[in-house]
Amino acid sequence: MASQFSGVLQLTDLDDFITPSQACVKPVKLEKKPGKSVAKIQIEDDGSYFQVNQDGGLQKLEKAKITLNDCLACSGCITSAESVLIAQQSQDELYKVLQRNKQNSAEQTVVVVSVSPQSRASLAARFDLSTTDAARRLTAFFKNLGVHHVFDTGFSRTFSLLESQREFVERFQRKDRDKKALPMLASACPGWICYAEKTHGDFILPYISTTRSPQQVMGSLVKGYFAEQHNLTPNQIYHVTVMPCFDKKLEASRSDFFLKEADTREVDCVITSGEVMKMLEQEGLSLNDVEPAPLDTFFSSVHEDELLRHAGSSSGGYLHHVYIHAARQLFGVEVKDITYKTLKNKDFQEVTLEKDGTVLLRFAITYGFRNIQNLVQKLKRGKASYDFVEVMACPSGCVNGGGQVKPLPDKPNKELLQQVEDLYKAENTRAPEEEDRVAHLYHSWLHHVGEEKARELLHTGYHGVAKNTNGLVMKW
Amino acid sequence: MNILHKFSAHPDTRCWYVAWNPTGTLLASCGGDRAIRIWAREGDSWECRFVLPEGHQRTIRKVAWSPCGNYLASASFDATTCIWGKKGDDFECLTVLEGHENEVKCVSWAPSGSLLATCSRDKSVWVWEVDEEDEYECVSVVNAHTQDVKHVVWHPTKELLASASYDNTVRLYKEEDDDWVCKATLEGHTATVWSLAFDSSGQRLASCSDDRTVKIWKECHPEDEQGEGRASTDPEWKCVCTLSGFHSRTVYDVAWCQQTGLLATACADDGVRVFKEDSNSDCHQTIFSLSVHIPKAHNQDVNCVAWHPKEAGLLASCSDDGEIAIWSYQSET
Repeated sequence: MASQFSGVLQLTDLDDFITPSQACVKPVKLEKKPGKSVAKIQIEDDGSYFQVNQDGGLQKLEKAKITLNDCLACSGCITSAESVLIAQQSQDELYKVLQRNKQNSAEQTVVVVSVSPQSRASLAARFDLSTTDAARRLTAFFKNLGVHHVFDTGFSRTFSLLESQREFVERFQRKDRDKKALPMLASACPGWICYAEKTHGDFILPYISTTRSPQQVMGSLVKGYFAEQHNLTPNQIYHVTVMPCFDKKLEASRSDFFLKEADTREVDCVITSGEVMKMLEQEGLSLNDVEPAPLDTFFSSVHEDELLRHAGSSSGGYLHHVYIHAARQLFGVEVKDITYKTLKNKDFQEVTLEKDGTVLLRFAITYGFRNIQNLVQKLKRGKASYDFVEVMACPSGCVNGGGQVKPLPDKPNKELLQQVEDLYKAENTRAPEEEDRVAHLYHSWLHHVGEEKARELLHTGYHGVAKNTNGLVMKW
Repeated sequence: MNILHKFSAHPDTRCWYVAWNPTGTLLASCGGDRAIRIWAREGDSWECRFVLPEGHQRTIRKVAWSPCGNYLASASFDATTCIWGKKGDDFECLTVLEGHENEVKCVSWAPSGSLLATCSRDKSVWVWEVDEEDEYECVSVVNAHTQDVKHVVWHPTKELLASASYDNTVRLYKEEDDDWVCKATLEGHTATVWSLAFDSSGQRLASCSDDRTVKIWKECHPEDEQGEGRASTDPEWKCVCTLSGFHSRTVYDVAWCQQTGLLATACADDGVRVFKEDSNSDCHQTIFSLSVHIPKAHNQDVNCVAWHPKEAGLLASCSDDGEIAIWSYQSET
């Protein structure tokens, strides 16, 4: 099958030339059992391995299993990660959980689905709906299947934006002491993060914002605050997100987002917009046929029954919000309009704040692999003069994610992309500071858990992956 | 075909590639010893004029001169491409292009000199742009091939790029809406395509392969045949000739002489061959005949053949035995 990861990840270590002995280079730790150093191993017809003991008895040998997380922490292939992924994160897994709930009424798992704004725009475009209408119908569709709550990751993005703003100001203030404080590079795109960790490791990681992506803030909210409010333990909740991007599956699987004590992930399963399409097809439904249901307002950005968006780019508006906040906080400038200057191509744009001919702030948007490449090379040569960069792995950003609904055969992709972008931007905006529910959560929940815990819930860390070069893979 | 000269260019290792500078005064070679040497004719012999300082950590697979002749680019298995320029009496490394995930297999300059293409085992083809300050920026990364990309070459006059791969295909690329896209896939070879060469007009492309054949592809405009003015349609590339039965092993390189139209091949059977187009060959059914076959041109695999850009019939070849040979082809008529 063709890889569905973003181009960035396809390039990274995707290697079909690995010889059988190297199909997986991950060292697997197995518990050693005491015994003779020489043993006979018998392979059964079904492929299982048995150790033949001295007395002739058989002892089944454990299979070495590689999890997705092992794959992510490894510099080896990513092709095998893909098959592991498909097994662990797909609409089939969601169906399995819903099926278990139906069969076992005593032990119910609370199923929560959090839908991203880009996914609802993609599905709205396919069914010719407004985004709010699409969201209402998606809410109904999921609830009819047995899902208990349907949220909006636009809500959790409010936290991501507020935290990014604060982090930027803090970094800016220590830029003279800390050479790697700036430029701050946005962290919401998992394809970019994975590429940075695998390819540029410790050099680039300090620049990357520690702020969690909207998906992973929602993970904190659902398995933390929501669980508390409903008297549930985190593992009694099955949390699914609907995302525009296949790489988000990798993000959800990171060990940083695994709750050890509760033995559960903050986001259990990520399904793409396209996989929601598959679910609709499986149910024999068009979203137009689904009767709309009221929106779940517990974790949603809503005003008078209409969903809201954040200003700025359709990739979350990180540049927009950090820029406005920084101008105000650091220079006392109230920014009314932001002028984006297109540089080499439409996926590389620049914004500057100038006063009396001096540049106070220089921000950029860098989408797609080629622009990321130039950014990284400039950083390496000390020639990147930016303070903040909104980095996204996909050309055109998140609305063009690899997990979005594919265009119908008679529709050019460019046209569809514009339609999705227009639908996304048709929503009214609300500034993150004006989201009362979020302010309330900062005050009650995050204040209550303490500063350190709040940091843990809204921020994360990155880990460089050591390169593994192997002479045996030589090919002229 | 007479041998004019043979000399050890990269002793005890492979000589991978040779490239003439645009005026034909210098011949650059690279090899498994991570060295780049530049040769020039001194009377009847060939002398090493420059040895470039160590710039790469692994094998240097290909070298290419810029159209102006002032720069030399080298593609290495260390995943980088170096740009060399002359400073005083020596060459020095001006820029290192990083970005490919692993082995860079080939590098090629566009005729304008402002674009550069590289390809790699990472399956991607990159297009770089050079500005006035000699700064290089990546303008596109194209992931069209499904396997290792062996070779990239630009059209002699247009901004059209061709690549050859381990996936048995040849692909052609053009710029569209500020990005480079694959416009055509040439399928026909049954094994790795190792190298490519355009003819002087750029209307034909020769490809050579592990399937022991050389194929000639011709640019065909759909409106040519149907008479309908469908100018917006992209040209198709059709295979108009397959040279099979001539090579007993992999054909590693093919070179199309810009003056004489002769086609030379480098083969893993240690031989160098020159093919000549029949005068009665028509544009849809091209016929090439074997004109010369030097069975033991080298002691080992021949990796590269390169026609001199000015002197008709002058051919350089290099081999796994580390040697470079200079040949003179005389037309039999």
